[in-house]
Amino acid sequence: MKYHLITLGCQMNLSDSERVSAVLENMGYVRTENEEEANLLGILACSVRQKPIDKIYNKIAQWNKWKNKRNLITFVSGCVLPADKEKFLKTFDLIFPMSELAQFPEMIREYGVVTPAGLKPPKPVMPQNEHIADMWHIKPKYQSTYEAFVPIQNGCDKFCTFCAVPYTRGREVSRPSVEIIDEVRHLVEQGYKSITLLGQNVNSYGLDKNGEEINFTELLRQIGEYGKTSTEEFWVYFTSPNPQDMNRDVIEVIAAYSCLAKQIHLPLQSGDERVLIKMNRRYSMDKYRRIVGDIRELIPQATLFTDIIVGFSGEGETEFQHTVEAMNEFGYNMAYIAMYSPRPGAASYRWENEVSGDDKKDRLHRLTEVLKIYSRQYNETLVGRTFRVLVNGSDRKTGFSTGMTEGKLIVRLDQYDASLMGKIVDVKITSAADFSMSGELQEVFSIQSK
Amino acid sequence: MSEIGINDYFCSPKFVAMMSLIKHDIKIDESFYRLEEIRHLTDETFSLKLPKARFAFKAGQHISLGIHGDYQSREYSIYSGVNDKNLEVLVKEVEKGYFTPKLRKLKPGDLLEIHGPFGKFGMEPEAAKTGKFVFIASGTGVAPFRSMVRTYPEIDYTLIHGVRYVSESYDQHEYASDRYILCSSRDPKGTYHGRLTGYLKNRTFASETQFYLCGNSDMIFDALEILKEKGFERDQISCEVYF
Repeated sequence: MKYHLITLGCQMNLSDSERVSAVLENMGYVRTENEEEANLLGILACSVRQKPIDKIYNKIAQWNKWKNKRNLITFVSGCVLPADKEKFLKTFDLIFPMSELAQFPEMIREYGVVTPAGLKPPKPVMPQNEHIADMWHIKPKYQSTYEAFVPIQNGCDKFCTFCAVPYTRGREVSRPSVEIIDEVRHLVEQGYKSITLLGQNVNSYGLDKNGEEINFTELLRQIGEYGKTSTEEFWVYFTSPNPQDMNRDVIEVIAAYSCLAKQIHLPLQSGDERVLIKMNRRYSMDKYRRIVGDIRELIPQATLFTDIIVGFSGEGETEFQHTVEAMNEFGYNMAYIAMYSPRPGAASYRWENEVSGDDKKDRLHRLTEVLKIYSRQYNETLVGRTFRVLVNGSDRKTGFSTGMTEGKLIVRLDQYDASLMGKIVDVKITSAADFSMSGELQEVFSIQSK
Repeated sequence: MSEIGINDYFCSPKFVAMMSLIKHDIKIDESFYRLEEIRHLTDETFSLKLPKARFAFKAGQHISLGIHGDYQSREYSIYSGVNDKNLEVLVKEVEKGYFTPKLRKLKPGDLLEIHGPFGKFGMEPEAAKTGKFVFIASGTGVAPFRSMVRTYPEIDYTLIHGVRYVSESYDQHEYASDRYILCSSRDPKGTYHGRLTGYLKNRTFASETQFYLCGNSDMIFDALEILKEKGFERDQISCEVYF
């Protein structure tokens, strides 16, 4: 029996897909990348923008045509809006929230039955997260042997007005710290080099436990302490944080421990105070500026990444210019810039979406041009210097190996060597481009230790 | 589930799913509340009174409210105080809207699904005892402030409420007359005739005042600018945007 799984959206969905794979492969299913030979077809949905949802509708339409010719079971999970869930109930065989993953084998065995979630009328509000711990207990089928995602928190209570995640992932729930640290330890002992702590509000970790769990700073500190005692070299990242809950303590801890990667992803969304308020982003530009100031002061070698939305309701040219100014001020190494996409369920869905598609594209392009300037300038300062690089792929054009620095900057090596995959090597940077660099291999850490 | 196991041998998946929906009762869990009363405050605005909240909340927080059987939901600030015997929300019907007209047609006994509480708009109980507060609201944005005033009877506050007409001074009698400033833009019968931002510009406040703003984003932006010009720090100002 074969299964094919399409994973859309963020690293959280990628992490969840590893648990879905684990469940299916424990049942005896074998993964195939060829949908046409699979008996079980599934999608981990992303509802952050309309495009991935449209992809799902197209895909299930195709799969349902195949059902005329062969036995198939189809399922969808991940982030599903209530409005889409109502439609998916009519087109997919199975639909369930990730918190019910432990029951997935039972659902498949009773093939043809919608899940307990599906038996109830479409729920008007968010899924409950009380079973999320069951999902976390499933040992994931890691897709990589050197890069892993560790969920530490699920759900969102922030209700940013552009976002439907509170309605798809439910309330903020923190995973027990003991489990997180155990999983990190296990991964390091297995030779993993890049470990990313995941959560919709990763730095809100522990706040939902009312003092009965450590907070994010302490979690990082304990991971850092483990790193000090380990003989392995590894980098620990985290995403996505909310500037609202970010403070100097977090930056101080990152500065104190070498295994805590000097790469900060700090979503800005907009550089305009008014737009931030309308987005319900509960930080001012001053607060964001203070956080960046702490980063530049305490970990000056850190790279800075962000998320930006262009074309949000209320963003005129003046407001957009404030975002351009912010891009110039903070000099990001990378920005994930998205055109605003109204999401059913999110508060802004009911507001006027007055920025035209063309204007959104234009703003995206203009911000990308600003980003290129700073990214290239930064990369050029690294030319001639040697950095540790985790080799994790190969370049499509040249066929040479590629990797990333601790700061997640892409480096193309001057050679291809399959044996380098997953290893940390020393690379001397020889040239810089907008979003990547080239370099010469200097040394291989063959025993992968410090 | 065992009944369905027999059926699925004979029936298509979709038919089995439909059978399941017919056979199973809807489970009423603790997130369902039966409406006790609708209070009509104006032609457009009403409050929904539910049984006492089964969850602990802080004044200023909001809930998500859905109508049983409907997949949509909306967020509403909690209008009642923490210790009130009813959970209450304030709703303004949106003309040609999808959801609020349905809320308006509800009858006592109808089922609503409530989730929450959410949000961090509001002060800690200790701060409420000692701080000096100015609440600035437009329209139904007064909702969280009523909760705060009912929750903290000793709180030192001024409530500046911007409305179009005096009739929109929802539950005005609950506020001390010297603490409630009604700014009515189209009606001369309020405390101040004009927009609340006009009143705000001409008012002075103690330097240690904490401001809470709630309502429409244009009012919030303008009020923020006025307060910044008066020298108040952004950290002294909390905002909750309704639209």
